[in-house]
Amino acid sequence: MIIVGAGGHGLATAYYLATVHGITNVAVLEKGWLGGGNTGRNTTIVRSNYLFDESAGLYDHAVKLWEGLSQELNYNVMFSQRGVLMLAHNIHDVQSFKRHVHANRLNGVDNEWLTAEECRDFCPPLNIDASTMRYPVLGGALQRRAGTARHDAVAWGYARGADARGVDIIQNCAVTGIRRGPDGAVTGVETSRGFIGAKKVGVVAAGNTSVVMAMAGQRMPLESYPLQALVSEPIKPIFPCVVMSNTIHAYISQSDKGELVIGAGTDAYTSYTQRGALHITTHTLDAICELFPMFRRMRMLRNWGGIVDVTPDRSPIIAKTGVSGLYVNCGWGTGGFKATPGSGHVFAHTIAKDEPHPINAPFTIDRFRDGFLIDEAAAAAVAH
Amino acid sequence: MADLSTMRTPAIEALVTASPASHLAALTALPPRTRFSFRGRPAAVTAFGTVLGFDLPQVACRFAEDGARRALWLGPDEWLVTLPDREATAFAGAAATALAGLPSSLVDVSQRSLALAVSGPMAARIINAGCPLDLSPDAFPVGMCTRTLLGKAEIVLSRTDEARFEIDVWRSFADYVWRLLEEARREFV
Amino acid sequence: MLIIACPYCGPRPELEFRYGGEAHVARPVDPSTLSDEDWGAFLYQRANPRGLHAERWRHVHGCGRFFNALRDTTTDFFAATYETGTPRPAGTPADGETSR
Ligand SMILES: Cc1cc2nc3c(=O)[nH]c(=O)nc-3n(C[C@H](O)[C@H](O)[C@H](O)COP(=O)(O)OP(=O)(O)OC[C@H]3O[C@@H](n4cnc5c(N)ncnc54)[C@H](O)[C@@H]3O)c2cc1C
Ligand SMILES: [Zn+2]
Repeated sequence: MIIVGAGGHGLATAYYLATVHGITNVAVLEKGWLGGGNTGRNTTIVRSNYLFDESAGLYDHAVKLWEGLSQELNYNVMFSQRGVLMLAHNIHDVQSFKRHVHANRLNGVDNEWLTAEECRDFCPPLNIDASTMRYPVLGGALQRRAGTARHDAVAWGYARGADARGVDIIQNCAVTGIRRGPDGAVTGVETSRGFIGAKKVGVVAAGNTSVVMAMAGQRMPLESYPLQALVSEPIKPIFPCVVMSNTIHAYISQSDKGELVIGAGTDAYTSYTQRGALHITTHTLDAICELFPMFRRMRMLRNWGGIVDVTPDRSPIIAKTGVSGLYVNCGWGTGGFKATPGSGHVFAHTIAKDEPHPINAPFTIDRFRDGFLIDEAAAAAVAH
Repeated sequence: MADLSTMRTPAIEALVTASPASHLAALTALPPRTRFSFRGRPAAVTAFGTVLGFDLPQVACRFAEDGARRALWLGPDEWLVTLPDREATAFAGAAATALAGLPSSLVDVSQRSLALAVSGPMAARIINAGCPLDLSPDAFPVGMCTRTLLGKAEIVLSRTDEARFEIDVWRSFADYVWRLLEEARREFV
Repeated sequence: MLIIACPYCGPRPELEFRYGGEAHVARPVDPSTLSDEDWGAFLYQRANPRGLHAERWRHVHGCGRFFNALRDTTTDFFAATYETGTPRPAGTPADGETSR
């Protein structure tokens, strides 16, 4: 079996193929280096308070695996359930977040409504003085089990675990073609280092999924956009949680190194450049400064972009494809890091059994033909 | 058409009154004028020109004027026409007659926006504090006009003189735009 | 910041434009006769190539017009811009090829 892409999702898939299904004749092929894609570029927010039942099932499956992951891998992935607070700035936000709170509770996912004062108490740097803000804070939705994890550690932990069980991880090995037999089924992949035969190929190539799937003649409901993040100079611990504001488009947390980790919305047009426009990040910093005036004089150290593959309904695809032996796990857009353990777990099941796990059964490609969208985009337009 | 002219007050009166003077970069609010948005195909464009008294400019991003009337090219089939309030009613009537049967649209948008002027040797620099266009005289000569951005607000910018620009801005954005220009002007007042 | 050449106004800063997605995606004349497969493909499947991409843009804070562009998605380099309704410029490489 071949897994294309050694990001967190690809490595987790290989790990669970080995540990859950006993399949160790697996090669993970990576055109760059371990976790050099979005895994190593993301802002590490982990949460599961999505609106629809299908999403709650998938993302909460992941949070439960996160809770035991350092133990399981014997590798500290620094999962920190410090709470994710999503701010509401207008009546629409308030109504939509309260709807999320209720829907989440029915699904057994924790999420609670806080008043503006309670938000400030939970996150003291937050400015809730309406007279100083264009978009005042009217309240927020808090998921206490949500938080952050160390992105590189997740890739390394899964890689080490998979490797120890016999999985081959091959870096600097780009897949350049997908070979198919007379019956149309997959027979292997062409790579920059030669042909590798395999009966099953799982594509987990994030922003490059359309390109890889085109090698098997498959057109995808995906578009690839740059998504940017940036970090400040390191400072003493000041920021206790994760705060997201979708309305004014900014989110922030503090890493264990002390840097403020700040994320923007996607850039405006499709691209594979792994960078983005400066005006997108300055716009985000405008919003951060309004929410947290105490950060106005902070200096930013680095910014970068990753390429995220976005589906029309902003929910992922974890599924079999029109080609026998070809499987795809993609479309995580701006928010797939949080799902890494769950995604790898159910994708390994899908490949091993040639049928989806009940949790990922709704996340097909065919939903875009049949109309069964899982429309988190319309539900909240909240990502990450 | 109801006469709304008496009800018009500048949305930024207090800001204008409090604004400091500067010969390097003067900021002024311009008196009210009537504005028409005109869109049409060539036949209508010709007919409209006869009512206006001169041809609508065909070159992209240029304005033409005659006396107190001005026509700004905003798009390949779209112009902004401004004239004194007292000429408005007669003009609209004459245009309606001339355009009869010719697919076109003529909309009075006078109340939508208000106009400011930035003038003085530092004028371009002040506008560039929020506008990404190249405002050097080669790239943006006298007689040029265009929709563009000033900070986060859309404006119509025209250069009426080497050292004078006019800005048309939607009323609800005027406060923001004025304050942004004031901030840029701070070192010159 | 990118400088984009509007076919009507000339070179202008990226901030004045809005991206409009893949170009030359023709709406089927009679959707009711389409198979679910074809309708789903029209609505949701996109080329998303690495390399040249024919796409729509609108000069929203300028002349307001839609137009088409050929852009290399690996460099963001614009190979051409052309008016809506006109075909992709002859002699330009196909989707996914590089521009230089
Ligand atoms: C700036 C930014 C911030 C983000 N913030 C968050 C967040 O806070 N929370 C969250 O949940 N998610 C976030 N995300 C999204 C998250 O990073 C992704 O959804 C997730 O990492 C996708 O996981 P992956 O492991 O599949 O991707 P990747 O790590 O990108 O792995 C895909 C791999 O495939 C490889 N590949 C591609 N083509 C080929 C080929 N032809 N041959 C061989 N290998 C190939 C790539 O090199 C890459 O290493 C963010 C993303 C970005 C860019
Ligand atoms: Zn234009």
